Amino acid sequence: MKNTISGQKKPFNDLKNTKFKYVLNLAKNQKGLFVLFTLVCILLPNIITNMYYLGIINYMILYSILCMGLNLILGYAGLLSLGHAAFYGLGGYATAILITRYGFSFLPAMIISGIVALLFGMLLGLPTRKVRGDYFCLLTIAFGEIFRLVAQAWIGFTNGAMGIVGIPIPNILGWSIRTEVDFYYLGLMLLAFTYFTLSLLVNSRFGRAFIAIREDELAASVMGINTAVYKIIVFGIGCFYAGLAGSYLAVYQTTITPSNFRLEESCLMIIMVIVGGMGSLLAPIAGVLVMTLATEYFRGIAEYRMLIIGVIMVVVLLFRPQGIFGTSAFKG
Amino acid sequence: MSLLTANKIGKNFGGVVALNDVSLTVEKGEIVGMIGPNGSGKTTFINNLSGIYSPTIGNFIFNEEDITGFEAHIITGKGISRTFQNLRVFPNISVLENILIGLHCKIDISLWDVYFRFLKTRKIEAQAREKAMKVLAIANLSDSHDTLAKNLPYGKQRLLEICRAIVSDPYLLLLDEPCAGMNPVEMDDLADFIKILQKRGVTVFVIEHNMRFIMSVAERLIVLANGSRFAEGTPTQIQNDKKVQAIYLGDEGDL
Repeated sequence: MKNTISGQKKPFNDLKNTKFKYVLNLAKNQKGLFVLFTLVCILLPNIITNMYYLGIINYMILYSILCMGLNLILGYAGLLSLGHAAFYGLGGYATAILITRYGFSFLPAMIISGIVALLFGMLLGLPTRKVRGDYFCLLTIAFGEIFRLVAQAWIGFTNGAMGIVGIPIPNILGWSIRTEVDFYYLGLMLLAFTYFTLSLLVNSRFGRAFIAIREDELAASVMGINTAVYKIIVFGIGCFYAGLAGSYLAVYQTTITPSNFRLEESCLMIIMVIVGGMGSLLAPIAGVLVMTLATEYFRGIAEYRMLIIGVIMVVVLLFRPQGIFGTSAFKG
Repeated sequence: MSLLTANKIGKNFGGVVALNDVSLTVEKGEIVGMIGPNGSGKTTFINNLSGIYSPTIGNFIFNEEDITGFEAHIITGKGISRTFQNLRVFPNISVLENILIGLHCKIDISLWDVYFRFLKTRKIEAQAREKAMKVLAIANLSDSHDTLAKNLPYGKQRLLEICRAIVSDPYLLLLDEPCAGMNPVEMDDLADFIKILQKRGVTVFVIEHNMRFIMSVAERLIVLANGSRFAEGTPTQIQNDKKVQAIYLGDEGDL
């Protein structure tokens, strides 16, 4: 290492401490609110006793996990991925196959599913070095479609279009998860895990590096950020959460079919992230809420549902281009 | 041994020769200026040095190490920071976060630390913030540390970009036309700021068009014309050099 020069003065070591407020002081004032919110989350099954509504909430939690992972890729690193459903599916199939065919219990199967999605995510992150912007987006669409077609055609492994059925009730350390309420708590734990790990990441130098890549890739590389490696990391980590969500879906639905992971699913996730707001950790949840409630509310007029989703998106983009809770980076 | 030695640097873009046989040295602790008419290859030289391009021929020896053709992020890690001609601060994040990104390669935290040793991470992050605030204090930007970078006035954005470059304690700072678009008052502030940096041990290599500024800041000037080294000397020598006057203003014979 020849990185030191003898006698080189470190320019800023002799300055007195400057007093300043931490940027995150905000978090302290919201502690009460946070505790209240957590309590409501924990007691929610006692308030909402209708299992149909609780089922909708479970799907909201599932999509929140997916969208928070996608938001890391799209909102923080600024990479448009239209193949997120493939990683969701990878997680789902990994869990289904591990449990039904190899007799794994749920927890290790879920962890392996996350890692499978992480590895494939990093694999898809590799070409970001050469392929940029719209072309990369096309690549992700292709990946998503390839995944779905393989899942459909490889009958020996995935059971083709029939899907894998009869995934048994998961059991974590004696806690057998069978009712909607149980699944609600499982989802809530996964969501809390997602939020906690993501907030650790985005508040570190890694999160700042992702933002730098989004803001100005050339300047980021001059700041000493290995942009190629960081894009692979962000893709892997974002997809990890999709793998977890897929795993949850597999045991929740007890079946998994290729049609769960179509391109529309990826698009829906992108729409949720955009409507909720990019570049802020919790904002996509708002998008999930709005879009899920809208699709459920208008279930009666099924054929026009997509029209209503379109209208919601146009209205949001017109009046709040950065999404409901997005950062100003996406104001347009 | 000089801090930086450029040996016969050449760069071709297809058939266009942007740089041809440029050699120069930069000594530790000095402020070197590079001037030249438009299109003479000044920015290309800095781009080659900072790893955005790699030279077609020739090599850069920095700190007794050949750094030719290294990628930009590695060169930054070796201790060469730069700013850009057309302002490249990260617009949508706060001033403090901009500086923290500049500290990226000095924050020694791995992904493992982020997830499993968060006390250590928190401590190092707090130290980084403290250091970032110290640098902002030098440039009188502490009050606006929470502002979005794009909301700063132009001159302050320029200062911010320089702060972002120096926060990582570089041995060599490359400034690409730092005065572009500044008014005379801001220019004087910038000149003072660069001299403060020199006192703190930073070696500065500055490209500039503005003669008043470069003459007051630089101790040694290198003149580039048509991609080749044309002249070198103290500001006074260069000012009185008839040949240099000719490339800027045209030959007396032309009049």
